[in-house]
Amino acid sequence: MTKKTAFWIFLLGTLSSAVLFLAATWDTHRQVATLSNVDKLSEQVVAGKRAFEKYNCNDCHTILGFGGYYAPDLTKVVQRIGADGIRYRVKSPELAFANSWRKMPNLNVSDAEIEDLVAFFTWVGEINNNDWPPQDSKKRLSRGEQAMVATVGVSPGAAVFQTKGCMNCHALNGTGGTFGPALDTIGRELSAAEIRTYVRDPKSVDPKSRMPAQTGLSDRELEEVAKFLSNRK
Amino acid sequence: MEYRSQKIAYWYFVAALPLFVLQVFLGLYLGSSYAFTIPQEIVDVFSFATARAMHTNLLVLWMLLGFMGGAYYIVPEETQSEIYSPGLAYFQLVALLVTGVVALIGFFFGWTQGRPLLEIPRPLDLVVVVGALIFLFNIGMTMLKANRWTVIQGTLLGGLVFLALLYLFGIPFYKNEVIDWYYWWWVIHLWVEGAWELVTGAILAFILMKLTGVDRQVVEKWLYVEIGLFLFTGLAGTGHHYYWLGAPRYWLWIGGIFSALEPLPIILMVFVTMHHVKERKAKIINPLTWTYAIGCAVMHFIGAGVWGFLHTLPQINYYTHGSQVTVSHGHLAFFGAYALLNLTTFYFAMPKIKGIEVFDDRRGKIGFWTMNVAMMIMGLTFGVAGVLQAYIERVLGMGYMTAQSYMRLWMLVTIIAGVFFLAGLLTTVTDLFTLRPAKQEA
Repeated sequence: MTKKTAFWIFLLGTLSSAVLFLAATWDTHRQVATLSNVDKLSEQVVAGKRAFEKYNCNDCHTILGFGGYYAPDLTKVVQRIGADGIRYRVKSPELAFANSWRKMPNLNVSDAEIEDLVAFFTWVGEINNNDWPPQDSKKRLSRGEQAMVATVGVSPGAAVFQTKGCMNCHALNGTGGTFGPALDTIGRELSAAEIRTYVRDPKSVDPKSRMPAQTGLSDRELEEVAKFLSNRK
Repeated sequence: MEYRSQKIAYWYFVAALPLFVLQVFLGLYLGSSYAFTIPQEIVDVFSFATARAMHTNLLVLWMLLGFMGGAYYIVPEETQSEIYSPGLAYFQLVALLVTGVVALIGFFFGWTQGRPLLEIPRPLDLVVVVGALIFLFNIGMTMLKANRWTVIQGTLLGGLVFLALLYLFGIPFYKNEVIDWYYWWWVIHLWVEGAWELVTGAILAFILMKLTGVDRQVVEKWLYVEIGLFLFTGLAGTGHHYYWLGAPRYWLWIGGIFSALEPLPIILMVFVTMHHVKERKAKIINPLTWTYAIGCAVMHFIGAGVWGFLHTLPQINYYTHGSQVTVSHGHLAFFGAYALLNLTTFYFAMPKIKGIEVFDDRRGKIGFWTMNVAMMIMGLTFGVAGVLQAYIERVLGMGYMTAQSYMRLWMLVTIIAGVFFLAGLLTTVTDLFTLRPAKQEA
């Protein structure tokens, strides 16, 4: 091989790859509007992105899998913990992570900024990104969730537990939050009636309880979820 | 040292080394944050995020200073002329250092652009751009005035211009998070798998040519093939970052295929290095410099080539993307490809600038092996932690913190390896600062 041949290898290799790359970039710009729902990219979403950058959230958390690897990925955070879950954690991380061995800083984020962040995460969560991350993929439900879904058919209480936000704080089968205790064996300690009283007004049972009173549950829902939990033994 | 202005390089190296040391100290804090509980009061004022911004920006800063110093050393010899303006070169060094220090202090007080690796606030970005323009002007004018073009010069200048151009894509505020990350990778990926590879290729070719005495025509022929393959696989290979960010599905194919080819140029680089060493026409005067040059090629291959290849296929990357596997790859690749390249340059140039023909390399050897073994262990322990994370969090779906608790032990081992790395680095830096002639053997 002569130096001239080597030069042509360099030139053709570089140019062919660059042409392909730039063409695909042009096409990506065309398609991104649909893939990322640009029609829903409101001013508040942009404000949320600015807040996300202002507090350097991205150097601990990943989003779309990019960033620091020190805290959970935020791509599907709304689907995972809900808007209230986000508000609580950002507003009072020292309470939210009191029991956690890894802490989140309290950055004094204003209420307005928190709402912007929620709008931003809601928009990000709807990006069509080939169903990543796997742990939040509805197509590839986690083992814990699969175990729970299997019980929904026989137990409406399991459905209440999953859909009414209990899992923001509590875990079953290793899935769910860590703010409150895991409830896998709660039936050994509390009866269905005791669970009902506690859930309606935790402070009436334990004045030091941090759990908010669950006033949003209907009587029927409360009864079903209490029955479901009292059977976890 | 044949030209007086090559001395400029010395001060760039001297500025770069302490930043490297500081980077490793911050790395130890980051590791501790994984293994231990940092109390809320400390986290509130000095968060992991702040420390990470410092750790990564220090990396970029010291490596760029190293590259620039390397360029100031090589260009006079290649063009057979003095640097166009040594005054500008020193001014630019001070400007960059001041910008860097202001940025680091700024991070501590929350002054940040808030985008990983590109945290430097936009006003400071402008200073960086001005600094880069001065640098390119200085190097470019030297080459133009001399008008003795070589492939090494061309590759070096091309890489540096490409590097500076790409930085511009990281400056704007993008409203759309998808577009934001799309162009973020133009800075990060096209730097490390494009522009930086060009600079590395040129510097390594120059050093090998000088060390081994192999004919320039042979060295430059292989340099063409190397950079051709680097750009062929690296440009379209950017696609391996576009799998899960909301870009069209064909990126899975483009990224998958081109990045599967990415080890090729690095294999070639190892092969060419070995070839030049074997066909050497000069005597081995300072064995440590040779060890570094070969170590750089080999670790480049392991960290960037093998580790990159391991999780670049979409089917695997779906589970490892954004986990400690990425961290493992990042550490091995940056160390193997760029930290060792810079240290190779330092060990090649600093004795010559000081006028030491044969230097005492006993401490340097200890430093080299300690750092390499420690970093290899860190790559493995990060990797084990990453595989645990991918399996527990992503396959079993057991929750982020559940996975993290299984990884804790491995992060602790990483810190221990990190302490050894720091010891190796301190030995190396001390050695470079106090190089002395080897005692004549009786």
